[in-house]
Amino acid sequence: MLKRLIVDAAYNLQTSKSYQARKQFFKNILDNNKYKYKKYLDLFMVILIFISVAVLIREVKHPVHDYMFFFNSYVISIIFLIEYLLRFWIHSSVSEIIVQRAEHDSFLSRDINLYKAFKKVIQVKLSYIFSITAIIDLLAIMPFFHELRLLRLFILFRVFKLFRYANSFQTLASVLATKKFEFFTLAIFASIVIFVSSVLIYVMEANNPDSPIDTLFEAIYWSIVTISTVGYGDMIPVTFEGRVVALIVITSGIAVLAFTTSLVVSAFTEKLDEIREIKTIENITKLKKFYLVCGYEDVAQDVVKKLAKNDNEIIIMDEDINRVEQAKRDGFRALNYDPGKVESYKKLHINIDKQVKAVLCLCENDVENVYAALTIRSFNKNVFILSLLMENSNRKKLKFAGINKIVYPQELVGLITKELIGQPVAFEIIHELRSEKSNVNITEIVVTQRIVENFATVGELGNKNFRVVLLGIYKKDKEQFYFNPLETTFISNGDFLLVIGYKVFIKEFEQHLHTKVNRV
Amino acid sequence: MSKNTALLFGFNKYVEEIVKNVQDEYAQVKIFSLNKEDMDHPEYEIEYFDLSDDWHNTDTDKDIDIKNSIAFCVLEDTAENIFLTISLRAHYEELPIIAIASHKENANKLLMAGANKVIPLVETTADIITNMLESPISNTILHDILYEKSDLKIAQIEIGENSHFKDEELSSIDWSHYHGIIVLSVMHKDMSSEFIYSSKAKRHIIQEGDVLVVVGYETDIVDFETKIGSERYVNWSHWSW
Repeated sequence: MLKRLIVDAAYNLQTSKSYQARKQFFKNILDNNKYKYKKYLDLFMVILIFISVAVLIREVKHPVHDYMFFFNSYVISIIFLIEYLLRFWIHSSVSEIIVQRAEHDSFLSRDINLYKAFKKVIQVKLSYIFSITAIIDLLAIMPFFHELRLLRLFILFRVFKLFRYANSFQTLASVLATKKFEFFTLAIFASIVIFVSSVLIYVMEANNPDSPIDTLFEAIYWSIVTISTVGYGDMIPVTFEGRVVALIVITSGIAVLAFTTSLVVSAFTEKLDEIREIKTIENITKLKKFYLVCGYEDVAQDVVKKLAKNDNEIIIMDEDINRVEQAKRDGFRALNYDPGKVESYKKLHINIDKQVKAVLCLCENDVENVYAALTIRSFNKNVFILSLLMENSNRKKLKFAGINKIVYPQELVGLITKELIGQPVAFEIIHELRSEKSNVNITEIVVTQRIVENFATVGELGNKNFRVVLLGIYKKDKEQFYFNPLETTFISNGDFLLVIGYKVFIKEFEQHLHTKVNRV
Repeated sequence: MSKNTALLFGFNKYVEEIVKNVQDEYAQVKIFSLNKEDMDHPEYEIEYFDLSDDWHNTDTDKDIDIKNSIAFCVLEDTAENIFLTISLRAHYEELPIIAIASHKENANKLLMAGANKVIPLVETTADIITNMLESPISNTILHDILYEKSDLKIAQIEIGENSHFKDEELSSIDWSHYHGIIVLSVMHKDMSSEFIYSSKAKRHIIQEGDVLVVVGYETDIVDFETKIGSERYVNWSHWSW
């Protein structure tokens, strides 16, 4: 009966949307570095830690107000306790373990063995309790028992909690962890040198009444101070033998220091690109809208520069490291990822539907563009994909790959030539209007509800006062363009005004449309 | 001033596209290739040429009515294309030359070599892609005007001797009387062009020979021409990037 109740409760929790959503929320806010609100919690906890340490320092020589003492000992400790318990909760799912055991046993037509399930629960929870970070968290709560004066020192463990909240510490730890073996070797070498030199200096100096080194502890102290090249000078060997030992320790000290420095530097040098890449991905994840450009060849370089001028965010992906370096030199975010692999997009941790304005497959090779487009389509059907086409015979393949818009440069040349000779005037004007270098431009202004409330008809817009030509209105709902509309034409929310004029005047006109106050 | 012969130098994918688009415009389309093997092409009639001065004195050259021709320099090798352009310009001062360049940098060299118009491929493609993404509506409208998918037209109308706009101040004219027409700019006799709302254009007194650039439907443009007593005009020498 009890067994049935426990299993039912586990199933209920596993299937409860609200419970899972809450648990996910706490997981995100405590553990997910990509969750946008986590940084606020981190900042809050860091502030609490610094308050604790500040109180501890103040307490050494000055009296601390009772309310501050209360805040430090109880409020902060309780917050840390809550955090500890939440982490204990989200670390693993008890209900999931029970459900898995129940399903496993049911599948094998056995009686549900809750003993095994609980054993596993205890194992996973203990693995959390005995993890270094959890131990630090627990010790940081200790000052709660402030009556025990010694326990107040545990407040320093709160400083160690900073490791949790500062990504740089985690990066540093991960960088140094790559050189575990080298650091271990260094530690063994340094320990042997310290041990041997301590014993030697003790043997040589301890019986000499003029020597300040009397005990083995003092010998070890002297060895460490000397090997680290700090050399306080408070203890110096006085015998000839002792000084010989000192010479050896000093020389070894230089070797240890040089070895340590080179290890740290080489660890950072090797991991620098990886650290930068992680940082770039973190920044990409935070972007609201951006263009994803696959390939950074000639056309792509020009497109990216033009898009960037319009304040667009752009992410470039190219499997050629030289082109990626070029993109970085040009000041863009670029990743040395293969656009033809799903893994490349997974690494970015982005929501393609929400964050990507369009994917531009601009490799000057149809095979690569088709491959990249198909890769994207394999996990996203909606995102707009534009691609270059280099060989007309491949057009169908690009369409089949799910590319929404194909740009074929050879065809463009043909069309441009035709217009150049057939309609030179239109060509010149349109080229001028499209060119970024020209002063006179064509711009689309979206009609908002606010504009509609202020200006009901075309005649009220007053574009002529701003020296702006209204070429026409594009009605999005009807997908129709109304050229040179009559002054009595009504404008509606969602329409686009196509205006021609000097950039500065168009800007003023746009401001006028958005700022005019409602008529009484 | 219309041309009846198109001379295409080079044989590649670009030339095939150009031929497809211009063959209806010209009575004669001649393709010249530096490669003798291209002369056996089953689909196109291709003639051989080389970059030496001797070629200009061959029979082929004499068959061409240069005054009524337009040249397209489409060699894939940029250096050769520039050399071809400069050779053509050296021999035929009046020949309109359109050249294709990979980049803007090469486009400048081709202009210096005497090309009237250069199409920089990378920049043009990039411009079109950017416009498609950033201004999809205006891009579609302009594209439709340019590629005749819409009835809208952009036309250039010269102020004639009898036009009643002559000697009037540009800003004093109420263009709204001419429904269906939008005047975009005015081009002076010296070929300098001014946007209709520029401060210079505002004070401009319309003179005979000035050219108005207008947008409108074909019927309205014809109507406008009749009303103001002027006619459409095409001037090749306006070409410049």
